[in-house]
Amino acid sequence: MTARAGPGLYLHLPFCSSICPYCDFYVLTGEPARRRRFVDSLIAEIALLAGGTWPVVGTESPRAPFDTLYLGGGTPSILAAEELARILEALRRALPLDDDVWLSIEANPEDVTPGNLAAWRRLGVDFLSLGVQSFQPEHLDFLGRRHTAEQSHRSLELALGAGFHTVSLDLIYGLPHQSREGWQRDLEQALEHGPQHLSCYQLTIHEGTLFGFRQQRGRLAELPEEAQAELFLFTHRHLADQGLPGYEVSNFAAGSEHRSRHNQKYWDHTPYLGLGPSAHSFAGNRRWWNLRKIKPWEARLEAGESPVDTSEEVSPTDLILERLMLELRTTDGLDLEGFRDVYGIDLLATNREVVDRLKAAGWIELDSGRLTPTTKGLAIADTLARAFEIPS
Amino acid sequence: MDTIRNFCIIAHIDHGKSTLADRLIQRCGGVEEREFRDQILDSMDIERERGITIKSNTVTLVYEAEDGQAYQLNLIDTPGHVDFSHEVRRSLMSCEGALLLIDAAQGVEAQTLANLYLALEYDLELVPVINKIDLPSADIEKVREEIDEDLGLDPYEAVLCSAKQGTGIEDVLEAIIHQLPAPEGDPEAPLQALIFDAQYDPYRGVVMFCRVKQGTLRPGQTIQLMHTGKEYQIEEVGLLQLKQVKAHQLAAGAVGYVIGGIKTVRDIAIGDTLTDAAQPAPEPLPGYKEAKPVVFSSIYPMSTDDYEDLAKALDKLALNDAALTFEKDSSTALGFGFRCGFLGLLHLDVVQERLKREYGLSLLLSAPSVRYELTLEDGSTMTVDNPTLFPDPNHIEGAAEPYIKAAIMMPERYIGVVMELCRERRGVNTTYNYLAVGRVELTSELPLAEVLFDFYDKLKTVTQGYGSFDYELLDYRPTDLVKVDILVNGEPVDALAQLVHREKARPRALRYCEKLAETIPRQQFKIAIQGAIGGKIIARTTINAYRKDVTAKCYGGDITRKRKLLEKQREGKKRMKVVGAVEIPQSAFMAVLKADTDN
Repeated sequence: MTARAGPGLYLHLPFCSSICPYCDFYVLTGEPARRRRFVDSLIAEIALLAGGTWPVVGTESPRAPFDTLYLGGGTPSILAAEELARILEALRRALPLDDDVWLSIEANPEDVTPGNLAAWRRLGVDFLSLGVQSFQPEHLDFLGRRHTAEQSHRSLELALGAGFHTVSLDLIYGLPHQSREGWQRDLEQALEHGPQHLSCYQLTIHEGTLFGFRQQRGRLAELPEEAQAELFLFTHRHLADQGLPGYEVSNFAAGSEHRSRHNQKYWDHTPYLGLGPSAHSFAGNRRWWNLRKIKPWEARLEAGESPVDTSEEVSPTDLILERLMLELRTTDGLDLEGFRDVYGIDLLATNREVVDRLKAAGWIELDSGRLTPTTKGLAIADTLARAFEIPS
Repeated sequence: MDTIRNFCIIAHIDHGKSTLADRLIQRCGGVEEREFRDQILDSMDIERERGITIKSNTVTLVYEAEDGQAYQLNLIDTPGHVDFSHEVRRSLMSCEGALLLIDAAQGVEAQTLANLYLALEYDLELVPVINKIDLPSADIEKVREEIDEDLGLDPYEAVLCSAKQGTGIEDVLEAIIHQLPAPEGDPEAPLQALIFDAQYDPYRGVVMFCRVKQGTLRPGQTIQLMHTGKEYQIEEVGLLQLKQVKAHQLAAGAVGYVIGGIKTVRDIAIGDTLTDAAQPAPEPLPGYKEAKPVVFSSIYPMSTDDYEDLAKALDKLALNDAALTFEKDSSTALGFGFRCGFLGLLHLDVVQERLKREYGLSLLLSAPSVRYELTLEDGSTMTVDNPTLFPDPNHIEGAAEPYIKAAIMMPERYIGVVMELCRERRGVNTTYNYLAVGRVELTSELPLAEVLFDFYDKLKTVTQGYGSFDYELLDYRPTDLVKVDILVNGEPVDALAQLVHREKARPRALRYCEKLAETIPRQQFKIAIQGAIGGKIIARTTINAYRKDVTAKCYGGDITRKRKLLEKQREGKKRMKVVGAVEIPQSAFMAVLKADTDN
């Protein structure tokens, strides 16, 4: 994957039928009328960009057309197919969108119906990501999910028969009291369906969520480090054996053509534009993000103003830190020559000792000009990034 | 001369010395009410916060007494802690009398007595002052009894006041005039002036504070410092009112300042005698004692970039603190720093605080050590206070460590626990006597090194705050000294090496190992942490290998939050030191070096 692709476009569609106790994203529940108003506002935000000029970077906007579009949230599948169509139409009117833009959408199993699947196909969805999370009823209950294991199986069957390029499912592991065997059962049930992509996230407890609240009161805790490490390594080894090797800390694909093309842009510093409340954007050396809450976001748009909340210039050192932190999360790792071309820094020359130490520990490999994390290294990707000295 | 009174206030800590000084100054019009800052004599922030006086300040008050006469009252401030007893002595020597301040609720305390003995040593007249009479718990009659029985002073001469409320201040002033003697001396005699304090002024150099005992000090005169033999020409003399006020001369009996082109306080010695170089006095004033550091610690900047700043800050502090010594030191773990000598733990604390507060430095201090005397095989002797300079034990014939005589005063009921504490700390010749019914003074000869480690805190704990403690240095006595190394993955961390008595080696080493194991983050390999004497391992802990990060999701494009987290962690890492390929955060050193307890 190279950074020479076109920019990515992300739409944050924040509505969910209920709020999961672990979720740290900006989400809300809302009646159909509320959702319609939101879609109007989103279309207003899109319209502000008519002519292809991005907010914040203005005339320095990336020129190439967007070649990925990701509908995330929230639960995009909660929006009616017509609403999604309206949004897409507005996008095509205002922004340069590649003809065969790679379209991804997140969906919950309970929203997967033959009718919806067909509608999403008609919209041009290539990558369908299903929020399955678990096949164990007690875990679904713990995670506050509205669907049943039965619905998950059914949705996968339907989705996989609907002709998408890639069907992915999200699973969460590392739940309290989850055994390796229990987790393996989840993975096997997922694999039986033959998805082309899997995202397996370890339960992370965030402040400000219901789980965070329970954690503060000592009623809930993340798994101990040892157990997390064991599950993590097992997951990567097991899925590699099953033909879905990991390509990032939490992502697994049956072949590189099934990887998430949109997320890849986050990891290799390709510019991306985020629309909708709390959406983040990046171009050049600037990052910015929209107002987090829907009301102020809408108020700005009603006033005909940009809903951007804050923008920051990322210093050269921080750009390098980001690059390390992001690329060392992926099995493609870091291309040393490309790195030197962009930042003028020979990582090997400036960090020989670090590289040797990480290599000796079995955390990274150095092969044909790339630094790549091993599976053990992926488990501690943040530590890898921190290990490097960034010459200023 | 009849209208001069030179006096000081002596008191147990917290009995209200500074507050009384404030009131006296205020009453004599030294300061306008509106610009009055509480406890004006304690000008350093640390002093104000801790309520203790470290560097003495002195002030001349002009008091118009009831007899219509204007008196010059020189209030000579004294520091209130054992570390600074040499300064107390200098102050006392400059006075004819002292106010002995006693808290109406607390009564006579350890330091009251210690100070009383000191004052008597210098033949001072004493006026007992019972302060804080406004407190609901004040028991004036009981305090009078203690004054009579414990101090042997006339309880009915005691003046009652509340410095806080400003009551009884006139009575205190009148008592100073009527009960304390005027100074004596001959302005025409050969000059003898005692330097009792000095300050560094960036524009004028060293300002010496003197008490003229005999003769007269005048600008233009060439003076000689009798102990060092150095000569200077006086540029200016004057009185120490709240500002320095220039005068034509300082004659016998006077207290004032002298400026004479002296560059640092190191060029003079507190306690030295000034005399006229042309017509010298036959001998210096008695009681001169060099202030020698007894506690040593290496100070390192947290960030190696701050080394130059630390060097400059120490230079500046030393201009004004002749007791502080320092020389370059370096550690493989902590980089370049300074080996510093202090008068005691409080002095160390004060210097550390000032470096942090006034110079904004983040510092790491190695475990405080005393200075040991070693006799080597070949019969030669050496002293060592820095573990890194400890010679090969095979060549050491014998070692000696400094002992102190500790005086601990407490209510009778704590005798058992305090004796036990002294025994644990290798105390010998522990005895006690009753000061009064229910009050005991216990004396014990303790190794100074044992007092450096949380002795005072422990004492406060076992006596529930009622015990007080004072000490003086005794002598050097033979000891079984070993150097304990702390090894991380087999490599010694020099900054954590310590010289300790053999009996204490194991618990100390274990404590250090455990603290390190708690604070060193897990790394990619198993880490062994050991305590060793020479090649022999005496304590051991391990840190298991590191397995998993919180590699939170990186989706939805919010990279900023994650990067900021990483940046913060990197900041922490910058201050890590690598020993044996193990990254040790500063916090680990801090935690260990603060772990100044063996259990």
